[in-house]
Amino acid sequence: MPTLPTVSLLDVASYLPENRVPTEYFTQYSRSDRMAKNVMFRSPKYRHHIARDETAVDMIERAAAPLIDRHGANTIAKVDVLLTHVQLPDNPVLGSGPEVARRLGIQPGWVIDVHNGGCASFVHMMQLAQMILQTTDAKTAMIAAAQNAAGSTFTQTEIRKLAHAPVPGDGCGVGLLAKSEDAPILGVHGRTYPEFAGDMTFEAIPESGRKYWEPGTGQPTIGFTESKITKVFARGNRLVPEAAYAVLNDIGAKPNDVDVFVTNQPNRLFLRNWHDALELPAEKHPDTFDECGNLFGAGIPVTLATENEAGRIKNGSLVLMSAFAHAGDYAGAAAVRWGAGS
Amino acid sequence: MTTSAAIHALSDIPDDGVPSVLRVENSDREETTPIIMDMLRSVYPHDQIFGDFCPVQTFVAAPPREVYEYLSDTRSLEEWTYSLRGLEPTDEPGLWMTFDRLGDQTKCFVRTVASPDAMTVDYHCAWDQGEHLWMIYLMRVVDAQVVLNKPGSVVMWNNCRHPFYDDNAYPDTAPADREEWVGDFWDMFSAGHQLELNNLKAICEYRADHGLPIKPKWMD
Repeated sequence: MPTLPTVSLLDVASYLPENRVPTEYFTQYSRSDRMAKNVMFRSPKYRHHIARDETAVDMIERAAAPLIDRHGANTIAKVDVLLTHVQLPDNPVLGSGPEVARRLGIQPGWVIDVHNGGCASFVHMMQLAQMILQTTDAKTAMIAAAQNAAGSTFTQTEIRKLAHAPVPGDGCGVGLLAKSEDAPILGVHGRTYPEFAGDMTFEAIPESGRKYWEPGTGQPTIGFTESKITKVFARGNRLVPEAAYAVLNDIGAKPNDVDVFVTNQPNRLFLRNWHDALELPAEKHPDTFDECGNLFGAGIPVTLATENEAGRIKNGSLVLMSAFAHAGDYAGAAAVRWGAGS
Repeated sequence: MTTSAAIHALSDIPDDGVPSVLRVENSDREETTPIIMDMLRSVYPHDQIFGDFCPVQTFVAAPPREVYEYLSDTRSLEEWTYSLRGLEPTDEPGLWMTFDRLGDQTKCFVRTVASPDAMTVDYHCAWDQGEHLWMIYLMRVVDAQVVLNKPGSVVMWNNCRHPFYDDNAYPDTAPADREEWVGDFWDMFSAGHQLELNNLKAICEYRADHGLPIKPKWMD
């Protein structure tokens, strides 16, 4: 069997919407003082919300702008694989890829919208991009994860009162990959868990039974049935370390070889439990939870871009990413020998 | 018809007498859920799970009553334990003497207290002397049909960190040249006991698979 070419994660960049929303925006709608106190304690301090007319395509275009600055328009023009993941599609019947390509002025041979990677979508897309780059003539790939469900659905009048409404935030992260030895993907692991599929809901509150495209008074939101919350929590506690260890095992590394560990960031408890599980100190597990909240699929690239731009990820570092999606129906992890530092 | 006595839960304690008691009356679901979530982890420190108690358990594909009867015969220790060898009855009824090969020629005394109704088997043991049996291995056999909806046995085993594990209260009874003390091994008991429980499982399942009595003929 011929050796497959090495694929690198050359760079990451991110975008956060301008509207930076403090937790008080939500607590003013709390049912009681006690609930408000609880929400303040558990929520991120800030999160960013998209503007009403801002689309996921806008977010991806803005997130990609630093890549054009850093790598030149010529490099971006050569992108021949474009993968996009949008939490809440601008238009549910089609993917964002073609419009993103139009905005960026690129003509990729491969344009795929992937909708099932959820909070692990960045790793999911890395795996897919790696496969396409390794097995076709394509040389350069751009992957984009846009989370836009916060400012849109979680600010509705019935939804913003809920205890979990302050947790999501909007943001977008993009990655630039290429056949290259500069920042090699050392290992990537993804697994779908069909047994955990179907536990995530997209329903109107108050419950009305209407379909999302039908007119009515209920306000649609994503979530889990109350009885499933601890189940989902237990799954997340298990899946993210498992995926991380699977990649470490594949590449023959141990947790203490890891320099930077980046995960999705649903809440503070998960962040604590995950670095505990890898026996890593919190300092090696940066996040953007307090500034951005739960960024769903954009969490990993936004944190990577934030840390990288601050100069906190040295080239040559072993960067390990791991995340789980939805109610646990997918988990993925990837390890990269960092090369995107300045 | 039975009459039920009126329930006066905690009526002997003032309302805020024990604030650490969390019940639906003083800590509703909204308040309690975060406490529960905080307690759920990806991993638990070894010391938290095995520091002061040493719980291990397994499923055994063999009939529970027979597993119980096997365990309740002290001589079964000769088979499934890692290091107890040479069991002999002493002059005192029910008290056995054996050698724990973990300690060089260390005498170990055992008295088995079994309850057929509860299917509990408690091994009261001590190194060196048979007067004060302070190392107590608490085992329980449960019918797996009831708890797992399948034939077989669940065997649960616990052990409590008696202070004598850290300080031998009977140093005079120890052989003069022995360096080990049983308590030196406490931190590996979780693994050691699981290993022994795996032995028990494998032995019982072999006998069940081959149509042999779980309690072997030589014990009759």
